[in-house]
Amino acid sequence: MSNTFQKQILPWLLPFVVLIVWQIVSMLEVVSPSLFPAPTTVLESFYELIVSGTLAEHIQISLYRAFVGLIIGGSIGLLLGILNGWSKWSFFTFDTSIQMVRNIPHLALLPLAIVWLGIGETSKIFLVALGVMFPIYINTLHGIRSVDRGYVEMGRMYGLRGWQLFRHVYLPGALPSIFVGLRYALGVMWLTLIVAETIATSDGLGYLAMNARQFMQTDIIIVTIIIYALFGKLADMIAQVGEKNALRWHPNYRK
Amino acid sequence: MTNSTEERGVRINVSQLQKSFGDNEVLKDVDLTIEKGQFIAIVGKSGSGKSTLLRLVAGLEQPTNGTLLFDDKTIKKTDASVTMMYQDSRLLPWKTVIDNVGLGLKGDWKDGALRVLQAVGLSEFQKEWPGTLSGGQKQRVALARALIREPDLLMLDEPLSALDALTRTEMQDLIEQIWRDNQFTSLLVTHDVREAVKLADRIVLIEDGEITLDLENPLPRPRDVTDERLVALEKQVTNRILEEEPSANH
Repeated sequence: MSNTFQKQILPWLLPFVVLIVWQIVSMLEVVSPSLFPAPTTVLESFYELIVSGTLAEHIQISLYRAFVGLIIGGSIGLLLGILNGWSKWSFFTFDTSIQMVRNIPHLALLPLAIVWLGIGETSKIFLVALGVMFPIYINTLHGIRSVDRGYVEMGRMYGLRGWQLFRHVYLPGALPSIFVGLRYALGVMWLTLIVAETIATSDGLGYLAMNARQFMQTDIIIVTIIIYALFGKLADMIAQVGEKNALRWHPNYRK
Repeated sequence: MTNSTEERGVRINVSQLQKSFGDNEVLKDVDLTIEKGQFIAIVGKSGSGKSTLLRLVAGLEQPTNGTLLFDDKTIKKTDASVTMMYQDSRLLPWKTVIDNVGLGLKGDWKDGALRVLQAVGLSEFQKEWPGTLSGGQKQRVALARALIREPDLLMLDEPLSALDALTRTEMQDLIEQIWRDNQFTSLLVTHDVREAVKLADRIVLIEDGEITLDLENPLPRPRDVTDERLVALEKQVTNRILEEEPSANH
């Protein structure tokens, strides 16, 4: 019973307390309501945005950008990580270049992306893809390289070659590390999207927030921030479920 | 492995085998013939070259010089089935027990896997993850994984040295019984002289990359470690190992 409390209730206690304090502070009007709207005001705006359908529209386009960017960047990162972890030739050919590009803050490429790719979807998807690629690349590479050589030798001894060796030994051995990369990449994905959507766009959650700023609609800004938090948590939860499922053999993930 | 009428085992011929790592000559001109179905134990201190000999026979390393023949064929042309048990069981932690046993096998191997798991007394653990097993159970699964391939040569690289004394004795009995039922050739590398004397038909001592002792062990099986003749043999080998100690310092 104390276990359910610890796992189900305790994590939500702090956000709840913060909410209560916030509401009280707003009701006392310590600061101007237009700067610091009460949770109830935020909730009201939230409701209005949902009912009018505006929110769904913006969320839809943001999720589309996030998802496509993640798929493209994640696949490239995964492939490069596997390739460079597998083959020394590939590693020495690509790794230095990848590390150089990685050390450029990818958001610094935003102006360049707009100039080259325009203000349409491509530039935003490009930036998200670029951002998520590196954490997945590095963790996949590390995962493949840290697979116990003893398993590889045993696998060879028992007749595993090429793809078989990869599928039965390297990939599952690298999976815990790949999931670390994925969860980190999800954070980078949202961050990139927020920044990319605040500049040169006419839809998406980032636009909604920037637009609200122009009209001093603090409540709407807070709504978008909350949505980011919710989606961030949701994405992480989905990744966690996948992780738990794929790594159920691992002592750290066992119930 | 229930099919005992089938011809099993392989004759191994090692001649003038030499292996160097850089300037370090680990094996010097080793000559050794292992008969079909023989259980041979190679003993020696760590760094003597005994593990290198095993790795050469397993094809995990290439010899610098010399030849290695399986039934008079080179190691690449042999169709003898060679399997190995390691000191660490090397079960893949992401595969269940039964999938570890069937690793890399094609066709319908499930029945065979269950049979070998039964032979090592672990059939009820088939769906478990290796992480939940004890050290002794893991080695039993590793043994099952080696047996399902119906080996002509089973190599044992210190497979029991990480186990506690009681489990080790149990495993020795199990390995001996399975070897007697199947008559494959067995090559055991160990630093435990008592284990060598208990299990092997023949005990070979390697020191500084050379064979310095080659003893037949014709004692009847199953063997009792308290048997006087066995104790005497163990003493003989141990004393031989220890008397080399001072000369190594010169």
